[in-house]
Formats: sequence, structure tokens, C-alpha cells
Amino acid sequence: MHAETRGRVLADTIAGLQHRYGSAAVHRGDEPDGGESAAWATGIPALDVRLAPGGLPRGRLTLLQAAQEGVSGRLTLLQALAARASREGDVVYVDVAASLDPGFLADLGAELDNCLAVLPGRGRWREGLAMARALVIAGSPWVGVALDRRPDRDAGIEPALNGLVEAVHRRRAVCVVAAPSPPSAPFAYASSLTLSCTPAGWQESHGDITGLRLALTVTKSRLHAPGAAATLLLRYPRPYATAEVVGYPAVWHPSQSVAEDPSRSDSVARGAAIA
Amino acid sequence: MAALRRHPELRGEAVIIGGAPELRLPVLAASAAAVAAGVCPGQPLRRAQQLCPQAAFLGVDGGDVERLRADVITALGRLSPAVEVGGEESCCDLSGNHAAFPDEGRWAAAIARVLVETLDGGLPAVGVGSTRFVARMAALASEPRHVRLVPAGGEAAFLAPLPLGMLPVDPAIGARLAALGLDCLGAVANLSPVELQRQFGAEGLVLHRHCRGEDGGGLTVDTSPRRAAERVVLDGAVGDLEVLRFAAHRCATDLGDQLRNRGMVAVAVTLVLELESAPPLGVTAPPPLPAGNAAELWAAVLALLGELRPHAPVSAIRVEVELRIAAGRQADLWRGGDAQREAVLAAAARLQRRYGETTLRRPRLAGDPGDIPERRFLWESPLPSAAAEQGSQATGHADATGGDALIARPSTQPAQKGKVPWSRPPAAKQPGRGHPRPAPSTQTALSVRTVRVHV
Repeated sequence: MHAETRGRVLADTIAGLQHRYGSAAVHRGDEPDGGESAAWATGIPALDVRLAPGGLPRGRLTLLQAAQEGVSGRLTLLQALAARASREGDVVYVDVAASLDPGFLADLGAELDNCLAVLPGRGRWREGLAMARALVIAGSPWVGVALDRRPDRDAGIEPALNGLVEAVHRRRAVCVVAAPSPPSAPFAYASSLTLSCTPAGWQESHGDITGLRLALTVTKSRLHAPGAAATLLLRYPRPYATAEVVGYPAVWHPSQSVAEDPSRSDSVARGAAIA
Repeated sequence: MAALRRHPELRGEAVIIGGAPELRLPVLAASAAAVAAGVCPGQPLRRAQQLCPQAAFLGVDGGDVERLRADVITALGRLSPAVEVGGEESCCDLSGNHAAFPDEGRWAAAIARVLVETLDGGLPAVGVGSTRFVARMAALASEPRHVRLVPAGGEAAFLAPLPLGMLPVDPAIGARLAALGLDCLGAVANLSPVELQRQFGAEGLVLHRHCRGEDGGGLTVDTSPRRAAERVVLDGAVGDLEVLRFAAHRCATDLGDQLRNRGMVAVAVTLVLELESAPPLGVTAPPPLPAGNAAELWAAVLALLGELRPHAPVSAIRVEVELRIAAGRQADLWRGGDAQREAVLAAAARLQRRYGETTLRRPRLAGDPGDIPERRFLWESPLPSAAAEQGSQATGHADATGGDALIARPSTQPAQKGKVPWSRPPAAKQPGRGHPRPAPSTQTALSVRTVRVHV
């Protein structure tokens, strides 16, 4: 039998089996989940091209780690990613930081009907992680966890986190955790891709703050070599302008110079100095 | 069948269900021998006695009927996720694919075998069709212990030659159709629906749709919560936690095996410690994930055991679970990812029960936001109203309805003398005349098994 004929017979057989038993029943070795790609594209080209799989990895935990205390932009970025994911399917947003603004999600173009907000209460990391795990096991394909200050007692966080990681791996879900500074050891260990978020200054226009520039650096990756960096602009919603996240070099103009206002918070001033 | 289970010696004899013949009540059901003598359901019992004087007349036992119904649902539920069991007929949803059966015919044959085993010698006729009506007609046109399969697209050809008497219509309409010279379903199907509507009103349109094999009616699946319990009586009251752990493990293992065999999951687990000289101590909580086997249930029971602090020796341990069956559509097992959103909503309902109603919300933009930014959106429950009602029933808001008081009133309440706190109120007598009806399906079914262990 010719190789071409054999390949066609095999393809027909696989198609028949998938038609009868479902698309997940048979898949090729290079397509671990039956055709679904190994990465979820964030829709931010400046970020996707710097991540080796072409986006955030499926079945693994991605950590947006604040590089310093105070403003870091990680929660805004997480909401932007959740908004993007909600346009493709169901999204679970675990808001332990109590910072979710559905109006901002809508400004970012989120499909609110696809958004399920989990509100365990501020600082209740363990409950939030347990609820995220239950929803991932139930089939949620995209989960975002927004963490704020560390709870007083860390008891129970590690088993809950391990359960979430195991569930994400089993269901090949996309899981993004926005964690505050200082880094939490269990999250740093469980993460497959850690993006360090450093504020690179406010974006101003005519004296108004219109956005935040965010420097992202891959500080840990189990998929490729760390070290890749990108600068994003988190553009806030304004009248007649939508909120969005774009690659910073694409929008930066010398005329829109950064106004380093010392009256702003120290962290932002430091971020601007870094930039 | 329920009566024959109670009186196996009457198998093969003429049996009429409805009560004593001197009662002015109708016949509810009759065995094949009685039907051959001219008895039919709806006939007065006195008339049935005249037609078949040698028949045995039996009353209706609601408990037997419910037990048989539960057994049939359980048996069919292993093969089909959506099952509807009625008085004389049962419907299963065979849409989608099943890994063990390559086609609907073998799937239906397996269902017929299960029915024969469950009915203990009954002779079910099985019909398979693309709609409920076609499947029903196929079963009626089939023979006992046979499967009649109507292929998709062949509904009209199958229905056309069937006699008009098989139609489930008002006898007056049937008589008028016969008077018009229409003697089969095909003849009615060839009529204009407008003419049928003019003659018989809305029922004429339904008639026309049925005769063409079109039927939009789905299955009414019984999703009422069911309960099962295991109770271990300790041989002498003990306070040793290791012994309690052993007894609780025994309960969880037995219940978990039941769950696995019945293809059900536990959505709420109750652990009750019966104390020697004090009111029972109990706690109820939904497991983080539905427990479907012994290992998953044991994890939930162990968590509950850690919450209880018995202040007196324990004489017995009782584990009770609230069960759910797959309902409404094909489960994920049959077609990957098909029920993803339903599964997520079910998980959300469980999490709401465990962590509180306000912990899961779906945002929605407000219609009139006004000037205040906080009013731009509203939080609403992610569950549809039906699921919310189901969830609220399951959380035990039963005090108002007077239904199941087990979850609503945990056993930390003081027990009345001679009565355990989870005992149900006696069932209210059915008002009105006529045959007592079986309990409605909204009532929970509870089966308790008690074992005694020596420690």
C-alpha cells in the first residue's frame, strides 16, 4: 500500500472514530488535546511573539508576579486577558483581591455573559483556590485568580494550590494567577511561566493619565529559556476611547513623553526611572 | 408488575389491580390473562368481575409502585443518562453515542434485557424512533421481548399503515375520522393540516404532526433528590476516635459502592454521631466535588468527622448522602465537552451551597447606569432560575414547605423522647376520594441500611 493511500485510510479512520466517539477520543501525538494548540494566544502580539508557545501555556499555571509593592498593573493585565478570553468562551475570575470592576471588563470588550466571578472575600486565598479548582474540574477552560495581600495564616494554601495545578493540568485549562509582592514560595514553585510585572511609568495625554506602561519579563519558564521582555501599554477607558492593551513600542511617540510626577507613588516613580 | 412482585404466586394468572370488586372504583391495570378476558383499564371493577370472575383483585400499594419505579429508573439510568418512567411505559434518551453499543439497536436491546431482569420476567416491548411518538408507536407495533427500530427518515413509511386505533386521541375524534373513511395514520397524514384544524381545532394540528412522525415532546426526567444512608451500630458505646474512624469508613465504603453501582453521585453528605446519653451530633456539608465512589465519599466523610467533637460515648454512626442522577441531556461521558457549561453551573451551585450565595456572581451591565460608576453593572446569580430553585431545595429550605427536614434541621437539635431528630413527619393523608396515589416524585426517597459491627 502506498504511503499516500495508507495516510488517507488512517485519516479516514481517525475521522470516523472522532465522529463516533468524540473529537477527544483519538488524536495524534503532536496534538496533545486533539487538535487544540498547546498555547492560548493572548491577542497582544507584542507579548505572544515573546512567549515560546505563542501565548500562555494550556494545562499549566501562569503567574503574573508583581515585582514590587504598590502599583504593578498585574490586575489590570489579568482583567484584560480575562476580557479577551471571555470573547472565546467561559471565563472564571476568582477575585480574592476584591478589585474586579465589571464595568472595566466591559470597557475591555468582555462578553459578560461568559464571565463567572468568584468572590470568596479579601485575603481568603485557600477558599479561592479551592473554588477555582472545582470549577476547572467542572470544565472551565480559562481561570484567572487575582490575589492581593497575603493572608495572615498560610495554612492550607499549598494543598489547595497543588489541587488547582493538578486540575488545570488534567483539564488543559488556561490558569493565570496575579500575585502581589513579595513572591509567595508555593506559587513561585508551582508556576510554569512567571511574568514579572514592573510599572514603567504612567502614560499621560494633555495632563491626564490615560494608561500605565508595564514592563513584563519572563523570570521563570519551564517551556523555554527565561529572560524575554516586553513593554505593554494598559490604556484606560476614556470618553470616545476604549480600554485596551497594546505593545508599547507600537504606540510610543517622543511627543508623548513620560511625565515623571514626584507626587505620584514611589513605586511608579521607581518604575518610570527604570523605564 | 409491582403487585406481582408482592404476590409471585399469581404470575400467569388473571389479576386486576384497583381494589375489591365491590368498590365503585375503576380498574387501574390488568394482567395479560385478564385483558384477554375483556378487562381493560378504566372499566368499573364490578364490570371487570363480571367479565373475568376468576381474577384476583388486588389493591394498590404506593410503596411497591415507588420501589419498582425507583428500581427501573436505577437500572435504566446505568444505560441512558435521561430516563422517564411512567405507569405503563418508560422512555430513554439514546441520542449521541455510547462507547459500549455501536448503534441504537444494540443499545435498545441492552435496555430491553435490563428491563426484563428488573421486571423479573416481565415482557417489555421496545421501540426505537427519532421522536417520542414514533418510538411509542414502534413499541406498540412490536412484540413482547422484541425491539422494533424505526430508522431516521423512515418514520412516515412506518406510521402510514398503522391502524387509526393506535392514535392516542379522544375516542370521539377517532370515530369521526373513521366515519370519514380514514382507517390508517397515512390517510390522516395526507390530509391538509388546515382542514384538520378546521374540523378538530388545535388537536387536529397535533394529530397531523403525530401522523407525520413529528413530535417535539422531550423527556420529563425525574431529577428529584434521593437519599441513601448507612448506619453502623457500635457494640458498646466508645469514645475512641480510631474506632469512630473505622466505623465511618465502613459506612463510606458501603455507600460509595452503592453510588458506583447505581451510577449516581452524592451532592450532600451528612454525618451523625448517636451519643449514648446525649442528643445526636450531626453535620451536613456538600463535598467540594460530587462523590461517586468510596474513595471520594470517604474523603468527604473524614472531613466531617474532623468537625465533630462528641462529648459523650458514641453508640452508632450514621452517614447519609443526597444523590443525583444525570438528567436532561447526554452526560460528558458520552460526548466529550458536550455538557461543559451545565457542569460548570452545577459546580457553581455546589460552591454556592458550600461557601454562600454571594461568593459566585455573574456581572451584567445595568440598563440605566446613571452617573455613579458603581451602578454601571449589576451582580446576579449565575444559575438559571430552575437550577437556583433546585439548589435552594437542596440547601434545605424545607421548613416552609414541610418537606425534608434533615438538612434544614441538623441533629444538633435536642431529640424528642423516642424519636430521632432526623425522623420525618408522618405523611399526610391524601385528600379526596378514589385510589391513594403514590408519593409525588418531588418527595425524596430514603433507603437506610443498618449493620452492626463488633469493635
